[in-house]
Amino acid sequence: MNYAVLRVRDFALHALRRSDPVLAGRPVALIAGEGRKAVVTEAAPEAAGVTPGLAATLAMVRCPGVILRPRDPDAEVEANRLLLAAAFTLAPRVEFTGPGCCTVDLQGADPARTGAEMRLRVAELARAGLPAQIGAAATPLLAAYAARCAEPVRLVPDPRAFLAPLPLAFAEPTDAHAEILRGWGIHTLGQLTALPKAEVGRRLGTDGAALWERAAGEATRVLRLVAPPTTFIAEWDYDPPVESVEPLLFRLRRFAERLALELRAAGVVAEKLTLRLFLEDETEYGREFRLPEPGADADLWLRVLLAHLETVRTAARVTGVRLAAAPARPPAKQDGLFDTGLRDSAAFWENLARLGALVGDDRVGTPAPADTHRPDAFTLEKPAETVPAAAPPPVHPPRGPVLRRFRPPRPAQVVCAAERPVELDREPVRAAAGPWRVSGDWWKPEAWAVETWQVELAAGGVYQLARTADGWCVEGVLD
Amino acid sequence: MPSGPATLAALRSLLAARFPEKARKTGGGPATGVAAVDEALSGGLPAGRLTELVAAAPGTGAQLVLAGLLASTRGARQRLALVDGTDGFAPDAVPADHLRHLVWVRCRAPDEAFAAGDLLVRDGNYAAVVLDLRGLAVRALRRQPAAGWYRLQRAAEGGAAAVLVLTPVPLVPAVPWRLALRTPLTLADRRTPRAALAAGLTVDLERGAATAAELAG
Repeated sequence: MNYAVLRVRDFALHALRRSDPVLAGRPVALIAGEGRKAVVTEAAPEAAGVTPGLAATLAMVRCPGVILRPRDPDAEVEANRLLLAAAFTLAPRVEFTGPGCCTVDLQGADPARTGAEMRLRVAELARAGLPAQIGAAATPLLAAYAARCAEPVRLVPDPRAFLAPLPLAFAEPTDAHAEILRGWGIHTLGQLTALPKAEVGRRLGTDGAALWERAAGEATRVLRLVAPPTTFIAEWDYDPPVESVEPLLFRLRRFAERLALELRAAGVVAEKLTLRLFLEDETEYGREFRLPEPGADADLWLRVLLAHLETVRTAARVTGVRLAAAPARPPAKQDGLFDTGLRDSAAFWENLARLGALVGDDRVGTPAPADTHRPDAFTLEKPAETVPAAAPPPVHPPRGPVLRRFRPPRPAQVVCAAERPVELDREPVRAAAGPWRVSGDWWKPEAWAVETWQVELAAGGVYQLARTADGWCVEGVLD
Repeated sequence: MPSGPATLAALRSLLAARFPEKARKTGGGPATGVAAVDEALSGGLPAGRLTELVAAAPGTGAQLVLAGLLASTRGARQRLALVDGTDGFAPDAVPADHLRHLVWVRCRAPDEAFAAGDLLVRDGNYAAVVLDLRGLAVRALRRQPAAGWYRLQRAAEGGAAAVLVLTPVPLVPAVPWRLALRTPLTLADRRTPRAALAAGLTVDLERGAATAAELAG
């Protein structure tokens, strides 16, 4: 099997349905033309009694609840991109054969693996609202025939046995040829190919010979290959603008499904997502999400985006949305034998994203002391995947109670006697230790200097005071 | 008619069968490194349970307990989550190596702290989750509905994380263990090694859950 064809029956209808959540499970039909001349071109199974070719007015009579819509070119472009992304996961040589149809050159691919991949891809496309059929055979034409009668995947190891029962219409004869062949009692491809090709050509002309070749499925051709995507961006314009999060999430889910497939086809993962909302007042809202674990999992992305969007309030309605994924090489790692990794990596990173949305991304993480003597200087870093082995105990073990800070430090009134604090906010000080003076960055505009004291109040409690150029403040309590 | 002890034994076995999480062995969680606390809790914080540590006054050593827990979980290479209700944790007050397993959530309001605690307790990747509510207004803390605490307890029972709640006053309804720190630290303690200070802390066991052995009779 050298070729595979991915095909979506009633493509325009499915493309429309997957782009509008309102249409899910409803009787929908596509129409062409305007006013009284409008006729149905495609109809969903739920639209009982509505068939292609029916006048729109008649369709509304036959199925009173039917929703009649024209084709949506934007939705079809998006659906075609999704189908192409799925095709590129099978092999890198892909032809965009037409709307809702791709042909893949499978030469050199492992047949056993490709069969399983096709089934997986069909399931993914169905989840994304695009029920596809895949056929695989020795020639592009045979693969296209196989796709037409696949449920949902059809492999053709024996072309002759496969073609024999297929109706003649598969080979697309002209009306004249169809009439002649019907007169000869020929109704299937097998019956036609049982006749000698030369005799058919002599009686029906060159077109007849070409029809015989199509019926035999032997005709092959050179694929017009398309280049795989190199950027991973999806965008959509809303008309009318939206003002709730549900339509945004619906659209972002569709984007995520497509972008994740495109990334996987390219053998990369996303390390960063960029979300941009275009607002009605011609401003933009942008946000970058650095994924804690680079990957191509659409569900994980959605959870990250949802956790953030639940907290977003915009000044105007949203007229457009764009999602971009920054590609990166997949992380390659092997944990050490005694490393303690994450029990549930997905839950860990998802919860971190949720916490970031709750308190702010800059307020969650693993603290790391900054390279300075400045008090309370630290950075918050991304937690490690594995907890490393503990360092040897410090040469000078820590002494004294542990400081718990007041952030921001509380301004205080301190009375000193003989340059030592004796009263803190009118509370008498029982004992004081200090001062410890530190300073730094004197060569920079943000030079700092602080004098630290520890005081025990007569009423109880040991506090740490700091005196800077701005005056006294209580830095925290020693606990 | 069954005798009294037989009825009691039957009741115990019925309770143990219906509420297996209640009959789960205590302990199993990380030690705090503070002898008095670990002894009161039979070895360490109970996994899958809430423990409330009341620090009624500043300077009674609750931060020492937290530092001890950081050290013990670091030694065991376990993860610790700290939900810091008033953003009071000072990373420069503990050895830098004791921070590498810590996930610190710096909250600004009680609601943030409770929501963060609820997420982390359910996470499944942490050996211990510390919910530090000291410094928050007691009135705001008391407004937290009891259902929220029960929800947290049920969430903890479903996992393996030990949950330590640091509070300024007794707050958690029906908490299995409640300890109170009462010994004030003084300025003279600043020269004492921290391990010795932790060893010298005393706690009152205000509430202790029935152990599995007691439940089983």
